Amino acid sequence: MDTHAFASLAQVRVLLVPVGTVPQSSFDKYAAELRTFDAIRLGDIPADNKDEKARFMPNPLSTGYLHLSFPTHPPPFSHLPLSLLRPSNFPLAVIGLAACSKTDSLPSILDEFNASLLDIFPAGGMYPLAKNCFVFEEGEGNTNVNLGDSLPSLVVIPSMMGNKKLYIGTLLADLCSHVLGEFGTLVQGLESPAGNEHLNSALMPMLPPSDLPQPLDNGRKRDSLPPLPTHSSQPEMKAFNLASAASLKRNSSGSVFRQSTLNVPPPPKKRLSSIGVASSHGRLFKVLGDFYLLAGRTEDAAVWYNEALLLFKSSSDTVWQAATLEGMATVSIIDAWSAGQGLNTSTSALREPWSDVFDKLSQAITLYHRSPAVDGEHNYSLLSYLYSCAVLRQASLLFSVWSAKGWGPLAFSTMLQPGPTPYLPPTLSHQGLTSWATLERLSALSGISRSSISAVLAQVHGPWLLHLGARERISILENTASLYACLGYRRKEAYILREVLGCILDLIVCGREEDGFSRLSSVPLPPGLGIQGLNSSSSSQRGNVGVRFSENMDGNESVLKLLKYVCKVLGINLDAVRLLDNSGEGPPDEQSVAASIEDDIGTEFIEPYGWPELQVGVVREAVAVAEALPDFLAVAQFALSSLKTLQAVLAPGDQYHLYTTSNRALMTAHRRGDSKSVEYWSGKPLVSISLSSFPLVRLPIEKPLSALQSRPSDITPILTGGTDPFLYNPRRALGQGKSLVVQNELLEFVLVLRNPYVFDLEIQSLSLSTSGVTFDSKPVRVVLPSTSFHVVKLSGKATETGPLIVRGCFVQAPGGIKREFTLPLSTEEEEERVSRKRAALECEVGRSKYSGLDCFPWEKASKRTSTQLAVSTTKAPLRLLEYTVVPEQPLLRIRRTSVTHGAVMMYDGEMSTIRITLENVSPLPIDFLHLVFDDSTIAPAQQALANGDLSVFDTYETEYDLLHRPVFSWNKEDTKDIPPGHKLTININCYGKVGCTNGTIHMSYSYVHRPVASHDPAPQVFHTRQLSYPVMVTVYHMLECHGMDILPFPSYPLELDQEQIGTDDQCLGNETGWCLFSVEVRNTYGLPFEISFERIQQGKPRGLTSTIVSPGSTSRVVFPIKKFILSEAHVSQPIPTLSDRQFIVTKSKLSKAQERAQRELFWYREELFKNLRGHWREAGGTRSGDLSLRQQRMTLPMLETLRTETASIHMSLDRHEGSDENPVALHDGKYYPPSSEFVYLRTKVTNLSLTSLVFTLGFDFQSSPHIIFEGLLRDVPVGRLESGESRVVDTGLCFLAYGRYEISAEAKVVGSTESKGAGRLVATVRAEG
Amino acid sequence: MSHHLFLLSPSDTPLYSLTHYSTKPVANVSSPLASNLPNWSTSAFAGTLTALSGASSSAQQTAGGAVRVGGGQDRHVIQMIANASLDVIEDLMKTQSTMFLKSVDKFNEWTVSAFITPGNMKFVLLHEGKNDDGIKSFFIDVWELYVKTMLNPFHTAHTPIRSTVFDTRVRASAKKHL
Repeated sequence: MDTHAFASLAQVRVLLVPVGTVPQSSFDKYAAELRTFDAIRLGDIPADNKDEKARFMPNPLSTGYLHLSFPTHPPPFSHLPLSLLRPSNFPLAVIGLAACSKTDSLPSILDEFNASLLDIFPAGGMYPLAKNCFVFEEGEGNTNVNLGDSLPSLVVIPSMMGNKKLYIGTLLADLCSHVLGEFGTLVQGLESPAGNEHLNSALMPMLPPSDLPQPLDNGRKRDSLPPLPTHSSQPEMKAFNLASAASLKRNSSGSVFRQSTLNVPPPPKKRLSSIGVASSHGRLFKVLGDFYLLAGRTEDAAVWYNEALLLFKSSSDTVWQAATLEGMATVSIIDAWSAGQGLNTSTSALREPWSDVFDKLSQAITLYHRSPAVDGEHNYSLLSYLYSCAVLRQASLLFSVWSAKGWGPLAFSTMLQPGPTPYLPPTLSHQGLTSWATLERLSALSGISRSSISAVLAQVHGPWLLHLGARERISILENTASLYACLGYRRKEAYILREVLGCILDLIVCGREEDGFSRLSSVPLPPGLGIQGLNSSSSSQRGNVGVRFSENMDGNESVLKLLKYVCKVLGINLDAVRLLDNSGEGPPDEQSVAASIEDDIGTEFIEPYGWPELQVGVVREAVAVAEALPDFLAVAQFALSSLKTLQAVLAPGDQYHLYTTSNRALMTAHRRGDSKSVEYWSGKPLVSISLSSFPLVRLPIEKPLSALQSRPSDITPILTGGTDPFLYNPRRALGQGKSLVVQNELLEFVLVLRNPYVFDLEIQSLSLSTSGVTFDSKPVRVVLPSTSFHVVKLSGKATETGPLIVRGCFVQAPGGIKREFTLPLSTEEEEERVSRKRAALECEVGRSKYSGLDCFPWEKASKRTSTQLAVSTTKAPLRLLEYTVVPEQPLLRIRRTSVTHGAVMMYDGEMSTIRITLENVSPLPIDFLHLVFDDSTIAPAQQALANGDLSVFDTYETEYDLLHRPVFSWNKEDTKDIPPGHKLTININCYGKVGCTNGTIHMSYSYVHRPVASHDPAPQVFHTRQLSYPVMVTVYHMLECHGMDILPFPSYPLELDQEQIGTDDQCLGNETGWCLFSVEVRNTYGLPFEISFERIQQGKPRGLTSTIVSPGSTSRVVFPIKKFILSEAHVSQPIPTLSDRQFIVTKSKLSKAQERAQRELFWYREELFKNLRGHWREAGGTRSGDLSLRQQRMTLPMLETLRTETASIHMSLDRHEGSDENPVALHDGKYYPPSSEFVYLRTKVTNLSLTSLVFTLGFDFQSSPHIIFEGLLRDVPVGRLESGESRVVDTGLCFLAYGRYEISAEAKVVGSTESKGAGRLVATVRAEG
Repeated sequence: MSHHLFLLSPSDTPLYSLTHYSTKPVANVSSPLASNLPNWSTSAFAGTLTALSGASSSAQQTAGGAVRVGGGQDRHVIQMIANASLDVIEDLMKTQSTMFLKSVDKFNEWTVSAFITPGNMKFVLLHEGKNDDGIKSFFIDVWELYVKTMLNPFHTAHTPIRSTVFDTRVRASAKKHL
């Protein structure tokens, strides 16, 4: 690499050439060893004081230094015209570096050295002036050491040598001495008038070797250069050249004043006059100055430069003048260096010490810039080169001072010996380059602002760069870029680097094209394919077959690195999509899950950064560069990274182009067997995952096993229903957290994917990522349409039982690497964290604290100080979609039903049957079947119950309705096991209930008693499935009962009874204890119905009455029933609730008595309905059903009627006590006693109640004055009567007059005034006969 | 003579750009070095290099006297230069407090002047001639217009300016001052 050190004009270049098979590493090692000699003291150089050679030899006591530099590359041939104008540009000496082991022979090494020199240096060049070959001995002993001494220009450096460095130093000094001697010879030739003419002949004169004065002794050195393979034949060849040249020169250079000026700088004026020839001597003096500068004699150089400048002022030899100025600038720096090695104090306050040098260089630059392009050919490139070098020299002057913190020894040594890292000054480090403060501190210390350096440096850039050859251009651009980089001007650096890349790529592409072309035409096929080529005579047929030659990958890495750097400066992260090893499918970790969430939020608020047009341009270029290299993976990486990061600014065409390019590149890379690939790139495509819901038939329901055991206290669930006292019940929600899925049954997951790009995104494989039990699913290939959301269904089977966790999905783009995207459930705290973060970002977005290069999007997070946005490490574990896989379940289906069209039509109260045939279609048996019913009447009733507004009575009614009269019911005994493939028919009873419109039959079934492996714990739960069969129900309301009443049934004369009731008279009679029940039944339907009521009272004969109710008419049914009495204990029970509801607060504020009355009403009604049964039958039809009286209310009078009295009183008239001969006439229930005759009124009191009571009796004679009686009328004591016991009370009477008498008696319980029973007697007294 | 104005947000994103061709002639001080450029390669990368080095623009100017409207100079290169000059501008704006940085940078044939608003917006103008006063008043006009745009509460520092009123006024000011 060509370095552009400031003091390159004063450096003697010594080219290092590898000779033979020296490996790169040892060559580098030896070169580094040599490079430690960057300066040689003039005193160390052996003087060769022979005639003209002595001219540039140092004084024996001089203190200066000869500066050396050791390039490893020779300058290009095109620089040859510069050889006099810029001698320092050429290697003045060559050192071959060879490593020898025992087997190598030294002469062969020498031959190789010479041969390589012939390759390196063109035949026409003047340089090198000296050469030597250093053979470094490797290994232990070497037998050829002695042989080495015999060969000229070859030195063997034994490996055993102690002070190797000293030895090499001596050798170098020798070499330099040769070079200085040659200077003398050269100048001698130029000083001749002919030489001077030649010097002035062209802008950039070049002395052909024949023109040079070549002393004979020099010939020995030069003779290795001519292109002759063997050592022996060289002298003859050289002889031709030398014979003519030497003779000519020796004559012409007759004036031998050199000897006099051997050690003292020659007074210029003297020589000026002495060479008085046509051309000006300016150029000659300049060359002299150059040589003195190289020789380390700066005083002489300054003198000659000044002379030259004086002459150039009059003429207009701009290029040479500029070169002279450059030389003078170098002289000042060398002087400053040698003077100020130690201290530097005498800086004048007025002017900066370097301003003089700076001015000279500016002058030179202007001169170069203005230099007229005279004599055609290739001067432009060299002039541009000189110009650019001068600009760089000036820039590096400022830069060195700046980087060395001011004008001082450090600055000088930076300028003279750039050291191993010429592009990074010692005061800066890589980290320091990015810190503005560090750079600014240097500016403050040195007094040179960075912008001024940049302003100087900017001059180098211009169209003239195109004149340069590729090598110079790259070198100059590199140098410029590195200076910009050190200044911290990274955008400018990026600009220049793009040009560097352009140069390099151009060379690569052009080189390859030439190569390819030559292969096609003439060059023989590579050896591996040789046979084919030979066999087929018509090799042109192979033209179509592309033969891929192994490509040289060296350097690709660096080019890509440059590209990435340039893109990074412009704000594009080309590493956004990483390259990963194909095999690497790392285990999914929680971190990535968390990170992906963070990413999501981050991308929402990404701010635009950078210059979109530039970014797009540079990205396109980067892809093109990578394609040209070619590095297919890099192509894909760049293209995809830009798609990822620049999606917002890329035009659709660009997006499409990048996508196709990356696909193509990935395919190629894959084909070529690259071990790496790109990771998945297009952001997070997954939006949501859900399990598509099962059909209800397949849904398993978990039940505890204990549910199978029948519980003793069976609270019918139908009453409580689904009632929950709380509108929102968190517990209930929690219980349903886990979804159940069934083993070995197909699960279908619905994934929603997103494609934000304008092209159709292809996903090579999309599969579910699950953990827990094994899940069988096949990846699918999907194409997501452009800019849309797409729904994909993935199906699979869980093959085991246990938990199944769906983490997310794996996505793989074509040619890429599979990547997992997880989708956690959003828990509450997660939601909060995300929203917090979002809020913080929202607050931050749009504000810019840092600007420019400080605000790269990828650096933003690290500069953020807000702790809110920091990723919290202590996070609750993420929740993922979880399912429980339960064992395989049987499957049942309804084979057929007896219901047509799913509808049932019934009359109110009718009972009918539905038959349902079930079939087991699974390979598992079913050993559990349970039916549950639902109908439209249940819910409202339950609702009413739940509301609790009903009175106790209504509550009971509703509950009774639900419990004892369900619409559907079934017989549990119907069920039995259903083996696989078998059928079972079950009967379901339907009861017609008004208001029912539809109902559902739920059949839960399961395989409970599975064979369980012995070591497994018995399962606590089992799973059922449910079949539902909806039924439409229509219930016709045809008969209405209302107006129920209970009437007393007085003791009518027996004959009346007989007329009315006929045969049933025996049960009636004149006894009390009967009452009449009557109810009105209305037929609201279109058909006549026969209704009947049946009496089923215990201990009493059954009674039945029936009638036909025609449509639209109302019939009243009257029917006697026996009164009854309920025990006090029975009646005093509270009204029961059928459900087990607790905490029922009696709302009604009833008094004790009212409550008691209510209870009595309730219980008597219940008893009544127990004893009565109503039926209806379709007249002329078969359908029949129950007639419900439950709608009817009972009133207190009805109750009084229905209840048996406490005491019954039977009264009769007897004529005489104890004598029955002449009874009182009795006819039709009336007594006909004689008048005015004593009769006895015999009153029999029977205690009908269930307890013993103390009765009193009261009589009422209607206040008749015609009756006289004995004893008391009021409160006649009867005494205590046990239950069922009766006692007779006789009262003497005498009817005094004819007429009709009515006597009534009333029994009372002691202590109460109300009547407990009454009796009546009618007597008519009439005249006898 | 053409002028290129860019309004850059703090994140280097151009919010507005304007190319203005003034009728003033270009003081052509091109170096002899910049003439007779060779066509040394035909690859696409060479084209990039040619454009970036500024060769195409100067060649184009010498070839045709009238500058083509819209695409005379390589737009991409102009933008690259404007972007690169931000280095110097950022450097200077940290050390200097002036808003107007005249002729802050030179690259190829372009001179760059800049104007920095207190809100860290950078107005960058690429011009060829020397017209400090005009440029300064032009910048101040643009600033005023920009501030008026920023009064819009929905306008953030990163919103591109698409107002036609702004555009016409800037153009008018450019016509007047440049």
